[in-house]
Amino acid sequence: MKILLTGAAGRLARLAAHALAADGHEVVGIDVRYRPNPDIDARFEWVKRYDHRHVTEVFRRERPELLLHLGVRAGGSQAQAKSRYTQNVLGTRHLLNLCLQYGVGRVVALSTFHVYGAHPHNPTFMSEDHPLRAVQTFPELQDVVELDHAVTTFMWRHRSVRTVLLRPVHITGSHLHNQVSTLLRNDYTPRLIGFNPMMQFIHQSDVVRAIQVAIERGNYGVYNIAGEGALPWRTAIETAGGRPLHLPTWVAYPGARAVSMVYPAFPEHLMDFFRYPVIVTDQAARTDLGWKAQTSVLDTLRSVRDVPPPIV
Amino acid sequence: MATNKGIRGRIFRLFDSIGEAPLSPEQRDEVSKAIGVNSAGYDPYGFNLETAERSLRVVRYLYRDYFKVEVHHAERVPDRRVIVIANHGGQIPIDGMLLASAFVFDVEPPRVLRGMVERWVPMLPWFSTLVTRCGQVVGDPANAAQLLERDQSLMVFPEGVKGISKSWFKRYQLQDFGTGFMRLALQTNTTILPVGIVGSDDIYPAITSSKRIGKMFGAPSFPITPTWPWLGPLGAIPLPVPVSIHIGEPIDFEGDPEDPEHIILDRVEHVKDAVQSLVNGGLDRRPELAQLDQFVRWRRP
Repeated sequence: MKILLTGAAGRLARLAAHALAADGHEVVGIDVRYRPNPDIDARFEWVKRYDHRHVTEVFRRERPELLLHLGVRAGGSQAQAKSRYTQNVLGTRHLLNLCLQYGVGRVVALSTFHVYGAHPHNPTFMSEDHPLRAVQTFPELQDVVELDHAVTTFMWRHRSVRTVLLRPVHITGSHLHNQVSTLLRNDYTPRLIGFNPMMQFIHQSDVVRAIQVAIERGNYGVYNIAGEGALPWRTAIETAGGRPLHLPTWVAYPGARAVSMVYPAFPEHLMDFFRYPVIVTDQAARTDLGWKAQTSVLDTLRSVRDVPPPIV
Repeated sequence: MATNKGIRGRIFRLFDSIGEAPLSPEQRDEVSKAIGVNSAGYDPYGFNLETAERSLRVVRYLYRDYFKVEVHHAERVPDRRVIVIANHGGQIPIDGMLLASAFVFDVEPPRVLRGMVERWVPMLPWFSTLVTRCGQVVGDPANAAQLLERDQSLMVFPEGVKGISKSWFKRYQLQDFGTGFMRLALQTNTTILPVGIVGSDDIYPAITSSKRIGKMFGAPSFPITPTWPWLGPLGAIPLPVPVSIHIGEPIDFEGDPEDPEHIILDRVEHVKDAVQSLVNGGLDRRPELAQLDQFVRWRRP
C-alpha cells in the first residue's frame, strides 16, 4: 500500500516508516521540519509551513492509498497557541479534505490522551466516550482537542474513508525526543509536593505496532492506546534513572508559565498531569484490533536513557 | 507487662504495632494476587501493598488500642466479592478506615475493601496520595462498576455526606440511602453485606456543622464540636470511643437493574433496615453509649 506519512522527520514517524517499509508498504514522508539525516525507509519531501499548495501537489503526484497523520505539533504554551492552531487544526482539516478529493481510502491519525484533561473528577479507566475536558483545565490545549474532533467528525461524515484515530498515553523510548521522554531523561524532573498521581506510559515500539495493526485491521474507530500498567509519577522518575525535583504547587504553576514564555516548547500543560491521574482503558483496541502492549511499564521507563540504536 | 498502662504504655504499644508486619508473606501474596498489581507493584487505581502495609502498622495501633475495635460475626463474610453497606458518622471517615482495617485484621482471609472517596479528595495534597495507595478510589459510578468487574469488594456508605456530617443529636439515626449501590449490585450480581458500626458517631460529637464555612475550604461541611475549632489542633484529637463493628447476614438480590426507582427503593429500604437493626443491636450491647440517647432528639424505636 502507498502510505503518505506526515511529520516524517519526527522520530516516532521514522520508526513507523521503518516498520511499515518492512511490512512491504511504500512510504512517502512529508514534514515542515527539515530532516538532516536520511535514516528513513521512505521518500522524504520537505514542505514549507502552511504551504497548502505544495501538500496538494504531493497528493496529486503520489496518489497515496492511506494517510498516516503523525504530524501533530505538541506543546501547550500560550506563546505558540496561534501557530499551533493553524498547523494542527487547519492543517489537519486541509489534509482530510485532500483525502476526499484524491480518493485516499484510509486515514490513520495520532491524537493524544491529553485531550481528556487532567481533572480531579476523572474516573479511572476512561473510555473513548469520555468527554474531552482538556480545554476546561487548560485552554491552551484547544488545538489538540479540535484536531481530535476534526478527525472524529470526519470519520462520521465520510464513511467512504476508513478512519482510525489513536489516542496513546505518554510515549517514551530511547529514540524519542517528545516532552515526557525528555523530561524523564533530565537529571532532575519536576514533581509536585503532595501529589503523586498514577500515570500510564507506553513504549515507542508498542505505539509503532499499534499503528501497524491499525493499518492492517483498522476499520473505523477511536482507540485509546495504553501501556501494560500505571505507576506513580515519582516512581516513574526514579525508574527512569532521574531524580525528582520537588516543587510546591504555588511555585510550579507560575514557574512553568514563566519558563514556557522564554522556552515555548516547555510542556506547561503537563503540570496538571503531575497533579491528577488520567488513566485510560485500551479495552476497545484490544477487542477490535487485537492489539496489546508488549513492553512492561518498568522496561518502558528504563529504556528512556538507553543509547538509541540506529533505526535502519 | 508493667508498662501497659497510661501514656507510656500507649507509646510502647504504638512502637510494638509499628515494629510488627501486619500481613504474613502468604497473606501478602494472596492480597496482591486478588488486587491484580502490575510489574511495578501498583494497580491502576494506585493501590500499593508496601505503602498500605506501612500505614496499616500505624492504623493497627489505632484499631487495636485507641478505638479498641471489636468485630462481631466475622464468619458471616462470604468467600466472594461483596458490597459492604455500612452506616456513616463521625465527621471524618474514621469509620471507613476502621471498617477497612477490620477486613484486614479480623476477617479470614484478609481482603482489601475498596472505598469510594469524595470527589474533592484528589485535590488534597498528601492525603489524596495516601488514600489511593491504600486502595481508595474516587467515588464515581464508573469506578465502582469497574472495580466489581475486576472482582474487588467495595465499601459503600450510601448515606454519603448527609450521614458523616450529621450532628451528634442525630447519632445512630440512618439518613436517606442513595440507590446507586443497589442497581450496581443487581447489574453485577454482587452480594450485599450490611454492617452496623457502633461508636463512630461519638468520636467527634458535632454540635452543628456549617456548610458555608466548609465550602470555603472546598470541603462538604465544617463541623463544630465542643473542642473543635476552639482548641485548635488539640481539639481535632478524636475521642477514644471503643468501636464495635457488627457484620450482618449477606443478602443476595435478584431483579432487573433497570427497575423503576420505587422498586429499587424498596430493596434499599430492606438493606437500610438491616443496617439499622445491626446498629440498634450493637447499641444494646453497649449500655454506656445507649444511655446517651436521653440527650438526643431522636430515640431509637
